[in-house]
Amino acid sequence: MAFRNMNRKRHIGLQELSALASTGRTLLGPMKLSKFIVDESIPGGVLIYSPLRLLENLDLSSAVGQLLNEAIQAQNKDYKTGMTTLLFLVSTWSNAILECLQHDVPLSVMVAVMSEGLNSCIEQVQCITLSLHNIQQKLMEIPIECSDRSLINNRSDPSSIWQFTDIKKTVSKSDSGILNLLKNELSEEKLEDHTIQQANDMNPGTPTINSTTCLLSESMNTNFVVSVCKRMIQKNSDLHNYNVDALTYNRRSKVTHSRYFSNVNNCHSTQQTIQLDGCPKHFDRLSDLEQLALSLSHGNESAMKLVQDILRCQLAGASQQTDTCPFQFNISEIVTCCLSGISESHSCVHPGYITLVCPAKAAAVKQLQDMPVRVILADGDLTETYHHLGFNRLENMSMFSESLSHSKASSNLWVDFIMDILIQSNINLILVQGDTCKILEEKCLLHKIVIINHVDHNVLKAFSNITRAERVTYISQVNEHCIGKGICMSLCGTLELNLVEVDGQIPLALTAEGLRLVTVVLCCPFMSKMQAMEDQFWTCVYRLHHALLDQAVFPGGGAVELLCLSFLEKLEKAIPNSTGQFHSASSWFAKSSEQYKSLVLNALARGWRQYLFAVMGNAANYRSEFETSTVIQRHLRRAAMYGSPSAYILEEFKKGKIGGSPEHARIDGRALKVCDNVTAKIEAWRRALELVLLVLQTDAEIIVGPKRDELLKSQDSCGFLFL
Amino acid sequence: MSRTDVKKPSLCTTGPLTKEMISQAVSAFSKIMRSCYGPTGRLKQFHNGTGGYVRISSQSSVLLSSLCVTLPVLKLLVASVQNHLALFRDSGLFTAIFCCSLLEKYQSLNVAPCTFIKISKHVLSLCIDYLSSETCGCRIPVDFSSSKLLLSLVRSIILSKRACMLSRKEADHISILVLKAFLLTIPQNTDSGAVLGKCLYIPVKNKRVMDSTIYPGLLIEMPELYLTLPLKRTASGLIRVALFGMSMSGDLSHAGEGAIIIHHGVSPEAEMLDQLLNVGRQVITDGVGLVICQKVIHPTLKQYLKENNIVAVERVGIRMMEPLKEMTGSQPIPSLQFLSPACYGHLKDLQAQCFDSKWFLHLIPDEPVVCSLLLCNRNETAWDELKLACQTAEHVLQLTVKDPWILLGGGCTETHVSSYIKHKSWSVTESTLEDLCCSSEEFHLVTDCFCHSLESIARSLEHDSGDVLIDTHWGHSWSIPPNIPSDSDWSDFVQKCGCGLCSKQEGLNWKMLNCCSVSFLPQNCVHESCVTSADNLVLDCFAAKRNGLQVAVETAHLILDLSHIIEDHN
Repeated sequence: MAFRNMNRKRHIGLQELSALASTGRTLLGPMKLSKFIVDESIPGGVLIYSPLRLLENLDLSSAVGQLLNEAIQAQNKDYKTGMTTLLFLVSTWSNAILECLQHDVPLSVMVAVMSEGLNSCIEQVQCITLSLHNIQQKLMEIPIECSDRSLINNRSDPSSIWQFTDIKKTVSKSDSGILNLLKNELSEEKLEDHTIQQANDMNPGTPTINSTTCLLSESMNTNFVVSVCKRMIQKNSDLHNYNVDALTYNRRSKVTHSRYFSNVNNCHSTQQTIQLDGCPKHFDRLSDLEQLALSLSHGNESAMKLVQDILRCQLAGASQQTDTCPFQFNISEIVTCCLSGISESHSCVHPGYITLVCPAKAAAVKQLQDMPVRVILADGDLTETYHHLGFNRLENMSMFSESLSHSKASSNLWVDFIMDILIQSNINLILVQGDTCKILEEKCLLHKIVIINHVDHNVLKAFSNITRAERVTYISQVNEHCIGKGICMSLCGTLELNLVEVDGQIPLALTAEGLRLVTVVLCCPFMSKMQAMEDQFWTCVYRLHHALLDQAVFPGGGAVELLCLSFLEKLEKAIPNSTGQFHSASSWFAKSSEQYKSLVLNALARGWRQYLFAVMGNAANYRSEFETSTVIQRHLRRAAMYGSPSAYILEEFKKGKIGGSPEHARIDGRALKVCDNVTAKIEAWRRALELVLLVLQTDAEIIVGPKRDELLKSQDSCGFLFL
Repeated sequence: MSRTDVKKPSLCTTGPLTKEMISQAVSAFSKIMRSCYGPTGRLKQFHNGTGGYVRISSQSSVLLSSLCVTLPVLKLLVASVQNHLALFRDSGLFTAIFCCSLLEKYQSLNVAPCTFIKISKHVLSLCIDYLSSETCGCRIPVDFSSSKLLLSLVRSIILSKRACMLSRKEADHISILVLKAFLLTIPQNTDSGAVLGKCLYIPVKNKRVMDSTIYPGLLIEMPELYLTLPLKRTASGLIRVALFGMSMSGDLSHAGEGAIIIHHGVSPEAEMLDQLLNVGRQVITDGVGLVICQKVIHPTLKQYLKENNIVAVERVGIRMMEPLKEMTGSQPIPSLQFLSPACYGHLKDLQAQCFDSKWFLHLIPDEPVVCSLLLCNRNETAWDELKLACQTAEHVLQLTVKDPWILLGGGCTETHVSSYIKHKSWSVTESTLEDLCCSSEEFHLVTDCFCHSLESIARSLEHDSGDVLIDTHWGHSWSIPPNIPSDSDWSDFVQKCGCGLCSKQEGLNWKMLNCCSVSFLPQNCVHESCVTSADNLVLDCFAAKRNGLQVAVETAHLILDLSHIIEDHN
């Protein structure tokens, strides 16, 4: 075992961490600077926009590098956003802590004060989240409308229809929170007027149902209004009760991941199909969502445009659908199809599944075009030797036969066997997750059976869900339950794709009634940018997804960080709090922390201050760091004078002084507001600090395995201790 | 071709402890152990230096299993601590530090090893007798009707593992879960030889600790979960379970050695599949609602079962088999031939649970003795560390049921016992000295060495160069900031003692640890102050610490007794 003491004079681990993390500093902000990585093994090099790809290209054999990479990977896996924030904060916080070490701050005090400081900041910023309550409520209306009408239509009382729709209208009118903030039109008086009017609207026309809308304009020491509409409905008649209960129940239901379970309860009332007749309300909802999406784009407008198109597709699908209730932005039913060598302007969103097929298959498809085909979904390979996972082949088995001809024909035999099944079941299309044996593929084409290989697992699942066809591993499993019906094949469904031909391959679109699967065709003229484009697209998708999951967003452009700074300033001056934060109350840390508290909190604040320099600096076109710092100081001073810093920051955000996006992203002549994800951001902060503190508390590296012997012989061995 | 080598002579080291290299290694080892001790202990990174997984830990079990020591003396030490850990799981660092400390301190004494061994044996027995006696002032009887003490004990253990990266609030949450899990593993009716159940830790990595929760019964993660409702139930409303301990993938992997030759046209795979489908038919006619297989199930069989409304779970792994057996009362079916209705078990209900977008099949038994703790932590290494900490706490709770005492933590037990020994050693009788064949001088030297070693453990809790005081009433340990002038009033700097039971009061006197002064008989504070009213006590496991003390002394004796090390280099 080799053993190296890390805490000599300055913490080697922290220095290493800070050096590694600082490589990603320029990747922050809306106008990020990309990096170009030249590698002999990749012709043309790679353009890099995200820390994830950056770290992939760095040498991370050191322990600290591994830990950093692990943190970035984890953040990417969960949120696909916030990695730059993480990397940036790791770099600034480890620098700040190194400085604290120079001042002889006891390590345990540093750990306790920093993590406590971050926790209270996180609590503090919760009060400036912008609720998405209304967007979600509106989204819920799509299926609810169907159910309401079907319920109402069952009865013959025409007046009650109006009551119900009235309620709906008023609910959708009482926009508040994010929407208005985003549209720049929030004013308290207006909102109150609205609600009073709503109450008036409802009272005369509701003899049987007494609905009252309560507006709780409660603000946590801000003038930002969170309105909660509560419908208190007095139950008069049994029939009404039932409907009303169904209605309120549906409204309450939240977004869930589930397709299988959570909807079970909600589905009971929607049996009838009613088409939405493209009412204007539908578009209202969409534009709200689209606006939200744009505000989360952080400079990737083109990728976000694609996400908006997906929303349009999925909403259209949802309004037709009869069996799922609340609208979900379903990210598991999005696939990407990357075409390089084509101008970016060809990127588009297409409902259904798009893939490229060779001309021979395209010819077969042409004959099957626009008629429902019978499909098998195979989740393995279609070869003779393929076996499912966990099947162990016998090594010591051999075949013998009387005549030689048998063994030759054996593979033909298998192909014939498969062909028999396919022809008997009248199959036209097979989607295979893996590979297919070439002979089988050719034979199938002769019989006008198209096989598509390397189909993503999610795609198979989507088709399986919509057609109720079981996926199979072996063709011999196929029975009537395993055959999907109602899938349509067409060549190049949209005009944009019409022109596209890559390597002689032709795009093929698979669609089905009610299928919510959406394919995003990403086009890029350079190979080196393809991956970055795909990453950016998924980042946008996840940002919107998490915003809807969180039901809230943060005002962006550094507003949250500004609040943290102003809060920390207050905390530094505040009377030291109790000793409760330390693990052992007996310890002398409590006293000592009073002494060092402001120093440590200042180190914490430095992370966000640097972050603000970077974000504000490159978003608002402040020319120098000095200028940015003046702006930040001014904000902080005003916030302190305002009484409630959060109110001040929200006010500034509303005015567009904070979080206004750069010139080019304007809609309807107004500058768009930038928003951030809530959980993703907070998790990035937590991960960053946790990593830094973890490394800080490590005082020795213990190297095990074969590397030990290498070290023993090497020149560096004096730095190590061998036991 | 065979090769013959000349046999190398064995290497013999005489008087190993006097060799500088070895004593240096012992002190380095001791430094590593000390630096990890306690809630503010420093962490260690373990990695292979070439970019693999990095484990960060401060727990003895990780340290000892990762350190590959080559020196025989250290090997002996590591092995004996590991043996202690295998039985008690806790107090590993305590044992290692105490043992090293005895060895290091012995070297500065001028006492023959056999004398040292005899005397320290005597002192050890004094300690053990005191800890086991009714008058012992550093142990608390456990009141099982209240959760407070047990919760403090669990919390102390969880908080002492810094690499879990838990905040106070998170540690509280986890402690409650661990205690709940322990309670869930206690069987309801204890008539027929009660056996504690099991708690399974289900990993949910990269999530917030506060999201961790506990379920009675068993959770099995399923990548794609479909429950075709209603479930198949027996007449009594239960779900019949068939548990297969064999592979149902349809291969012939257990065919044995030797070549197998088969005739062309015969397909062993098809034959196997036929047999599997026969089993499927049998299971259906027997009214089984849930089939669980340790290994893989053939897709065709899975499809067949699904079409017949039976839930099939595959690849649960060997780890799950024992709890499944225990919970459902079924016998794992080892081979297709042994399928009989007697093997079936039953469950009360099946549910699907979604947690962090993962689907779990929740098996709900009639009487829950098995529980599943969904444990979350933000990164891989912190999760591993947390799981280990939870397992330690769980084991400590089990030990506490057997030995219903808890020791004071935070260094107070060490200083308290040390002052007791010092006090006792003043009144040592001539007859004792005669029995031990030593002079009074030698006796005091060794006793002091023993006491200093104990005190040095209390000192090891301090990692930010603070100092440790001992009060002259209870003999508890108190920490103070570094660089306090020795003539200042200690009471300005102390707040509470290490375990949190005593706070400063009028008339209490302190002295620096290690400072020679008149000995005193430490008083019992457990009766005086109301234990139940004190919050956030720092506590230790009684059984583990007592055993650790014994193991440490005995290992030190063994090492001191070594006169030669003979290494065979062939």
